[in-house]
Amino acid sequence: MCDTCGCGASAVRTIDVNERLFASNAAEAEHNRAHLAGRKIFAINLMGTPGAGKTALLEATIAKWRGSRRILVIEGDQATDRDSARIRAAGASACQVETGLGCHLDAHQIHDALHHLDLRDGDLLFIENVGNLVCPALFDLGERLRVVVTSPTEGADKPLKYPPMFRAAHLIVLNKCDLIPHVPFNLDEWTEYVLAINRQARIIITSAFSGDGIGDWLAEIDNLRQSFLTGITA
Amino acid sequence: MHELSLARDLLAAIERKLDRSNARVVRVNVSIGSAAGIVSESLRFAFRVICEGTRADGAELSVTTIAGRSRCADCGIVFDFDGLIGRCPRCGRLGGELLSGDEMILRAIEVTDV
Repeated sequence: MCDTCGCGASAVRTIDVNERLFASNAAEAEHNRAHLAGRKIFAINLMGTPGAGKTALLEATIAKWRGSRRILVIEGDQATDRDSARIRAAGASACQVETGLGCHLDAHQIHDALHHLDLRDGDLLFIENVGNLVCPALFDLGERLRVVVTSPTEGADKPLKYPPMFRAAHLIVLNKCDLIPHVPFNLDEWTEYVLAINRQARIIITSAFSGDGIGDWLAEIDNLRQSFLTGITA
Repeated sequence: MHELSLARDLLAAIERKLDRSNARVVRVNVSIGSAAGIVSESLRFAFRVICEGTRADGAELSVTTIAGRSRCADCGIVFDFDGLIGRCPRCGRLGGELLSGDEMILRAIEVTDV
């Protein structure tokens, strides 16, 4: 190419694409979704703040249901298998995914994890995502239900500050409700903010520690699972 | 941190599109909805890093921001907004149902043939 006028340079041509990004994750998620539906496995993507009580909620769930339902858990954390150990101690099977620098699980990781689990038709699968109110909202895993767990120690304004996560939720659990009298948290204000971001979300208030609201949580999961199973066979 | 995932995905989409051609990428045009929560400058930085040593090394990333669009949860009007979350211009209520504005789209790739 000429240094003075640039003659001889190749012409620039435009290739139109118009494709959504993260298409490969979306495609893998649909593959997971179809696989799970084919096995009648109800999959829940459990997201939320680090320390909000996701694992404790699972322990409470397994304690009530381990005799009557087959529960599997895929655990996502940056490091350690501490949560998987807790799940196994509670009486359910777990597969740990250590994401390293990754701040969320993605559909490819779930696809691999599904091949490491002993799946049976009708299982209840929880995917405990990396504790994070930002990134997991962007990554469809192939789940049927998206749950976001939060707690009163975070303050009432988190729904406004993290809209994509709260918008993505089908069910929002306010855990650690036993702490409400001890922290500056206004439940009505929090509820109003949740509904401002996501009118359709169901809200359940629990304490995995004291057992409050766990019955409501279990009933909701059961109802949604029944609808899923009815929908498949219809 | 998800800008890095997005940059990686973007490069993968470009490589798939160009396949075995000898084209070098000069510019990439993307549209990102303001409600997607992507910081354009972070995305440009991540893309520059990810593309080093590839046929998109040095390519410019042009980001067009699409405004968010919501329906007010109180008064029902539809309004556009910048940023992650909007405030109804009529009644002042924050949030509302998101109708559009969280898209992330690779629009076009500008190349020269080597």
